[in-house]
Amino acid sequence: MPNSTRLQSFADDVGAISGPENLGVEDGVLSVAPANTEEVAEILRRANKDNISVAPYGGGTKQSWGNPIEPSLILHTSRLSAVREHTWQDMTCTVEAGCVWSSMQSVLAEHGQFVALDPLWPEGATVGGIAATNDSGSLRLRYGSLRDLIIGMTVVLADGTIARTGGKVVKNVAGYDLHKLMTGAFGTLGIITEITFRLHSIPRHVRTFTISSPDVEPLGRLLMRVLDSHISTQSLQLRATASQFNLDVRLATLPEVIHDQASSLTGLAQGVDLSVTDGSPDVWKIRQELFDHTEAYVVKATMLPSDISKVTASIRALGGESVTHATGIMTASVPASSTQLSHLREELEAIHGSLTVLHSPLNAAPVASSLPADSLPLMREIKHRFDPAGIMNPGRFLGGI
Amino acid sequence: MPSQSPDAAEREQGILTKAILADFRAVVGAKGIIVERNQLQTYECDGLTALRTLPAAVVLPRSKDEVQAIIRICAQHRIPFVARGAGTGLSGGALPAAGGIVISFARMNRILEVDIPNQRITVEPGVINTHVTQRVASSGYFYAPDPSSQSVCTIGGNVAENAGGAHCLKYGFTTTHVLALEVILPSGEFVHLGSPVVDTPGYDLTGVFVGSEGTLGVVTAITLRIVKKAETVQVLLAAYNSIAAAGQTVSDIIVASILPAAMEIMDRLSIEAAEASVHPNYPPCDALLLVELDGPAAEVDLHMQQIREICRKNGAWEDRIAQSEGERFLIWKGRKAAFAAAGRLAPNYIVQDGVIPRTKLPIILDEVGRMASETGLRVTNVFHAGDGNLHPIVLYDAAIPGQEEVAVELSIRILHRCVDHGGSITGEHGVGREKQQALGYMYSEPDLNTMQLVRCAFDPHQIANPDKLFPRPRLCGEKTGPYTPHPLEVAGEAEYF
Repeated sequence: MPNSTRLQSFADDVGAISGPENLGVEDGVLSVAPANTEEVAEILRRANKDNISVAPYGGGTKQSWGNPIEPSLILHTSRLSAVREHTWQDMTCTVEAGCVWSSMQSVLAEHGQFVALDPLWPEGATVGGIAATNDSGSLRLRYGSLRDLIIGMTVVLADGTIARTGGKVVKNVAGYDLHKLMTGAFGTLGIITEITFRLHSIPRHVRTFTISSPDVEPLGRLLMRVLDSHISTQSLQLRATASQFNLDVRLATLPEVIHDQASSLTGLAQGVDLSVTDGSPDVWKIRQELFDHTEAYVVKATMLPSDISKVTASIRALGGESVTHATGIMTASVPASSTQLSHLREELEAIHGSLTVLHSPLNAAPVASSLPADSLPLMREIKHRFDPAGIMNPGRFLGGI
Repeated sequence: MPSQSPDAAEREQGILTKAILADFRAVVGAKGIIVERNQLQTYECDGLTALRTLPAAVVLPRSKDEVQAIIRICAQHRIPFVARGAGTGLSGGALPAAGGIVISFARMNRILEVDIPNQRITVEPGVINTHVTQRVASSGYFYAPDPSSQSVCTIGGNVAENAGGAHCLKYGFTTTHVLALEVILPSGEFVHLGSPVVDTPGYDLTGVFVGSEGTLGVVTAITLRIVKKAETVQVLLAAYNSIAAAGQTVSDIIVASILPAAMEIMDRLSIEAAEASVHPNYPPCDALLLVELDGPAAEVDLHMQQIREICRKNGAWEDRIAQSEGERFLIWKGRKAAFAAAGRLAPNYIVQDGVIPRTKLPIILDEVGRMASETGLRVTNVFHAGDGNLHPIVLYDAAIPGQEEVAVELSIRILHRCVDHGGSITGEHGVGREKQQALGYMYSEPDLNTMQLVRCAFDPHQIANPDKLFPRPRLCGEKTGPYTPHPLEVAGEAEYF
């Protein structure tokens, strides 16, 4: 069957599944917006039969992450947008993958709860896309990553199998934690259609402090001291701006206690001859602004907390800006050459870290991202078992998976 | 010797010949291998003593290289293996396969690296849980997951089972604390999963491996997160006239935005048994609530005031705070001795491990009570109330014909009810051999088939702890879909139960 006839016949079938009104063409590529998990399953089953590649699409905020690919079908999750259940007494919720992050949070906030994660672009990014890319933010220090917050998932595999994993309770060791495998898999193992989260209470009293210095080293030492202290730190990040370095600390505790805690922080800062000032809550959004530097590479780098100040100094030496959470995850915009960036990657890998390129400037030479040490063959084997025909976002993931 | 299971025949399991035994001996030395029948008996079961299978041999490697050499031999000859730490597991996870070997980690118990500034520690799998805390305590840190068996159980076993404990409520499970694993795959290959640095590029294989109950390979080193010890710890005991009132207190505390380190409930029978065995000085009552708070001193004080008010509002007629480290220790000792103390209540008992959404606590306890009285058996309850993790203990006397069957059936029915309420069949003990069929009640065929894809990617020949976890033996590449009886089953030569 010629290619065009094959695609036409596929489009007809997909239209029959989700309704022709939910079919579209974007830049010459067929797209569909299924209404529910069952339709996703039917579409994938049909695509798998004809080896038609499929790229899931949520809010489109991170489609440039990973390797570029040319799918034959774009599968939108826009119609899978409901908050299905918020059992606030049990502090869990079940949400469809296409739900925009901030929409979900505003529903949960009615009962003073939230999914304790602050991902990039919450007003546009969807729950499914955030899970597929395993994004996290400054709250990770206190509440953990998505791996700790997702307790159940519904996933559709390439052959149309609908699989549920985990459940609706936080404590559960029955079977493999497939939702951990799906988190951060960039849609290469299946399409996430529904997620169950554990929730936390929104802290009622938070306060941000900032400590600034022309030198990064004392701030790095202070960061380590805060980590080793009894202060109720909710978020902690080290920033390199064009003019100076800043350490931002957000405390979350009771109003009666916050004064004491602030004094402890002042005491720690005095230990490195620095002073504490009240900070703006906006400092926690600066990470996102680094992506506005489209003329520079934007990278994610990982490192041990004790290496944060050293790597921050390297970024500054390259003329870059960075925000690094105390968990050891840095976002940086680096106006450097591809060779310089490759050297930075090697520097990170030598200290157990990694570098992943999230954005390259127009016409810039591509820079390879870090790969896992020796588990890539195993990852390929898993991909092969889940998606033997290779239709799920083929090539998007590291190592060309 | 028990007959070979049908799926093992299908797997073409190898026979452990004298030549292969000699190969093992060459790896671990004459002192590192056990083949004498009376010595092998030590390894025929774990904490689930009702199920026993004598292994063909036990090997005790001293290093990663020896483990790798052992598993290469197993892979070459298709000899099934199971790793064993202290053998305290409660679901039969370390039960040997017939004709298979046990790899004991008793001699791999070194702490390899301590990195206090980065709050990490790297250990061999045979290291005992509490030894991790002991090693870092002088720097003001501790290792948070605390299964009741923590003074003897090993980190390797904790990783296999994703072990929990009372303090999971605030600090999370084993999986929360595992950063990196060194693993020998069932093929004998050595891989690193995760790394000491978070967000290793690639699939989260560490997350999948933790809690896989030995079915994906064997760990040889584990990098764990350690946690800063809180400035203050306070433990409150509150006595109630009903479990429902204690349960309501737990829900009210959570809704008040307080996250205690632990919240535990014990019923009258458990209290009496604990009192008789370790004398924790519990008030005699129908329900005892134990709340542990930790954190900055000023914060803990304020929260404790609030909690005491919530307790009284819900009818607590006594609430007391442990006044010393010694009192706290004793309170916890009583709670952690609850399983063993059940031996004072009946000759035999089954400990179960269901989970329910916290708000369903009063309903399920009613149902458990009703189901128990229908069978004429007694069930006592201790539970991690904050997590909704129940440990109903079904008491019976195996000497009375038929009573054991009734007890087993009752304990499984309780798990089914947990699933019906949106919960799980296991919160921390694992599926193992004990709850394989119940897993099929919790997950559908497509769910289990999807898990099996992971299994087959790691272990295509199914030699790593075979016939565990999954409801019925299933082979890599086997057709999925509705249940199809195995040829041997059809021929009446085997049955699944």
